[in-house]
Amino acid sequence: MTRPIEIAAAGTMLTALVAGLVVPPDAIQGDLQRIMYVHVPSAWLAYLAFAVTLASSIAHLVNRDLKWDRRAGASAEVGVVFTGLALATGMIWGKPVWGVWWTWDARLVLTAAMFFVYLAYLALRRSVDDPVVRGRRTAVFGIVAAVQIPLVHFSVVWWRSLHQPPTVLRPGEPQIDPPLLFALVMGVVAFTILYAALFRRRVELAEVEDALVTGVAVGEAVAGAAVVEPGGGGR
Amino acid sequence: MPEGPIVDVHGIALRRPGALILRDVTLRVAPGEAVGLFGANGSGKSTLLRVLATLEKPSSGWGTVLGAAVGTGAAEMVRTRIALVAHEPALRENLTLEENLRLVAALSGRHDEDAAEALAAVGLAGARHRRAAVCSNGMRRRAEFARVALIGPDLLLLDEAHVGLDPAAGILVEEMVERTTSRGGAAVLVSHERERVREIISRSVTLSDGRLEETP
Amino acid sequence: MSLVHQIVVLFRFQLRDEVRTGEVAAVVIPFGAIALLVIPMAIGIETTLLARVGPGLFWAVVLLFGVVVTQRRTASTGQAHHDALTLLGVDPAARFAATALASGVLLLVFEVALGLVTIVLYDPLLTGWAWLGLVLPLVAAGLAMLGTIAGFVADGRGPLAPLLVAPLAIPILLGAAQATEGLVQGAGILRWILMLALVDVLLALAGVLTARPLEGPST
Repeated sequence: MTRPIEIAAAGTMLTALVAGLVVPPDAIQGDLQRIMYVHVPSAWLAYLAFAVTLASSIAHLVNRDLKWDRRAGASAEVGVVFTGLALATGMIWGKPVWGVWWTWDARLVLTAAMFFVYLAYLALRRSVDDPVVRGRRTAVFGIVAAVQIPLVHFSVVWWRSLHQPPTVLRPGEPQIDPPLLFALVMGVVAFTILYAALFRRRVELAEVEDALVTGVAVGEAVAGAAVVEPGGGGR
Repeated sequence: MPEGPIVDVHGIALRRPGALILRDVTLRVAPGEAVGLFGANGSGKSTLLRVLATLEKPSSGWGTVLGAAVGTGAAEMVRTRIALVAHEPALRENLTLEENLRLVAALSGRHDEDAAEALAAVGLAGARHRRAAVCSNGMRRRAEFARVALIGPDLLLLDEAHVGLDPAAGILVEEMVERTTSRGGAAVLVSHERERVREIISRSVTLSDGRLEETP
Repeated sequence: MSLVHQIVVLFRFQLRDEVRTGEVAAVVIPFGAIALLVIPMAIGIETTLLARVGPGLFWAVVLLFGVVVTQRRTASTGQAHHDALTLLGVDPAARFAATALASGVLLLVFEVALGLVTIVLYDPLLTGWAWLGLVLPLVAAGLAMLGTIAGFVADGRGPLAPLLVAPLAIPILLGAAQATEGLVQGAGILRWILMLALVDVLLALAGVLTARPLEGPST
């Protein structure tokens, strides 16, 4: 059953694709620059997805509701794909300019680090069967990762600022004329809606997976309410 | 001397992925009682002990252990008055028996000498400088009893305490339970060996299909 | 039973357990040392090259192989011992602090041992040795805490803990390597030392605050 959001995602992605191909090429970099319409939204989503994972992890630790854990995991899975895409497009963008696939550009290194954090988080999720235990452990790791990520960011940026040669030509911020800006914004919007659609489906899938493992349907209470009181507590 | 029932729980259920381990357990243990807990393999006896030890939170149900509401933060307050002897010994393998007991002593505010004394009381004075890893199962179990002696619990939980023990050492179990109950505490013993345990317990219950039934 | 007392007791006994077991001394340190030995076989043995890459390689090996120190056998215990400690009233935060502290001490030993190997094999130029006295413990502390949290969370599943640690240890690696390079060049290393200190403080907070939620469904 296709949802409205999935239709919207398909529609906006199509529009973004057309916009990206139709707007005039960049004055300096030519058609190569069009990769930006994929690269920038991907990078944006990598961070958005991670933020959602972090927020859901905190929510899970606070109220122990497994739905937050499922959301954290779903967001991470979608996020890792977009992070990989951001990395790949960044490399493709850079190869013609520098002649090598990888440069130690700060943003590239940061994206790569982010990618590995995602992979580690997902590996951790897979290592535990019991959803309750999984929720606890991945939430803690998610929070520790979130604490460290800004430090990863600062340390890498400082490091590269020390060693960056002054005359490097980076595929950085080309002049954004309105048509190009439109294509870029369209890309960000389309990717965000796509993220939301994928996220939603993945959460549903996770609910079914957890129900299979625990033998309890989502939302069904264990027999007898969990009221705990000394002496004469009720149900 | 504890007041009120040592254990007073009702409707305890515990769910694990794919299985309902405990369904509806109600148990009341008064001061001075030693209760034998029987049941088939896999019936959830060890799990119930862990719930009583406040180490596991039940999925539902209510009640108190040593006066603290089960499954709440209050349960933490009474932990130091509970001792659990599980299947595996709670020893650090490469520390000697005495070092293991000293760790317990240090964490319970007792002295090193108390550790040596406790080991001697269970007949391990000669082996106290042996690493736990090279001790026999029987010796390790006796070291656990020494641990219990150091703690002096109000609630003693024993999971198959007689396994691997010769009859002489079996007396230690009896003494341990006796010491606890005579001070107004209580004990719950899980066992498969009804004969050995019969002398020690004042009543028995059986766990079957996740529920507890009194057995004569 | 104060928190500090618990930490001290657990730390002492854990360290004694490790000294008796000897895993770090007999296995992990040699493992790190052999890495330092083998790498020049792959990248070349010219003296100038080795002198230049030596310090950086040292830190890379400390970080990647040092995680094993935090995953040693004596850093975790069986369920029964864990439960016994819980019933003795041990606070999860104390458990974290004691384990991290023990790991930190062992990592410091690891660093010193490998440092000597590096000096012998790579003959690096090092000025400002005194600053290393600050960098080494800061790195050991950060890696120890990160490794301890990862160990609790990965629960003994092989290479999972090192995978969890590696990307998050980047600030520690950069801080250490840049500080060391700064020593050689006589350039400012203060910002890197502060970065290391900040990492340590944040990890300590994270470890202590997540210790209890990590423990389990007992409350």
